[in-house]
Amino acid sequence: MQASELSPIIADCCSEVLDAMYFTTVLEVTHVNGTTIKPQPEAFSFSLRFRGDLRGTFGISLGSSSARTLASNFLGEDEDSLSSAEIAEVVGELSNMLCGSIVSRIGGTRNYVLSHPEACPPEDPFPDVLVSGLETDTGIIHTWVALEAPPMPVVPQVNPELAAH
Amino acid sequence: MAFNILIVDDSPAMRRVVRRVVDLSGFEVGKYLEAGDGIQALSVLYSEWVDLIVTDINMPGMDGEQLLMAVRKDSMLANIPVLVVSTDQTASRIEGMMAHGANGYISKPFMPAALSEQMNLLLGGVPNASF
Repeated sequence: MQASELSPIIADCCSEVLDAMYFTTVLEVTHVNGTTIKPQPEAFSFSLRFRGDLRGTFGISLGSSSARTLASNFLGEDEDSLSSAEIAEVVGELSNMLCGSIVSRIGGTRNYVLSHPEACPPEDPFPDVLVSGLETDTGIIHTWVALEAPPMPVVPQVNPELAAH
Repeated sequence: MAFNILIVDDSPAMRRVVRRVVDLSGFEVGKYLEAGDGIQALSVLYSEWVDLIVTDINMPGMDGEQLLMAVRKDSMLANIPVLVVSTDQTASRIEGMMAHGANGYISKPFMPAALSEQMNLLLGGVPNASF
């Protein structure tokens, strides 16, 4: 799948998830190579891997202010009452939902398994893939998907002496 | 009649959201019980009265599919309705869980009304939803 085919799927899935469960509207989506941008200061960043007929990694990164507002919307609780750990839990769950939604969409009926979301250091650079920047009413959210090439089939090695028998 | 609801999800945030949606649905809840995976859920099921299990699939240790199969094999637990709430939207996964005996399946993201509707079907309550 080409990056140009993946980008609208990411945008659609993010809009759907953010709207339904985080009461957040995606206003505009831009796509840039990850090497040209830097994570926001004190960003909350998570990644998770998926495998099955499709293999790859999904990542998300957003600034602390956006993360706090999203967590407040998701949990229905006051922003000031939320701890960093609670905000991180919500961003982790957001990454899980976004990844599941995107992989289900690009994988069709194929089976897959998701790993558990892992927090990444905020200063970690974005990978060298197309990163979608979602401008929302709570701030910018960066997401990316890196699909891995399917493993090459292993050709059985046949001992010519044994094969002759 | 108040229902005891067991929410099984490795994400504490998601468990809070399910609890909040159920509260808003207007169901009379006797007790919310929570578990972070299937093993913890079975432990709760053997020690508490549970009217409905709401479970995720993808969890460490015992996942939701294994939990569902364990519940359906145990004559003491087999009749408890199980509602699956998962990010996995693939048709094969949904069909597989229903074949293992799930009573309902909701894909995340979900609208609060979808959960309320499924619970109404499974518990036969008459909720007074406030969303």
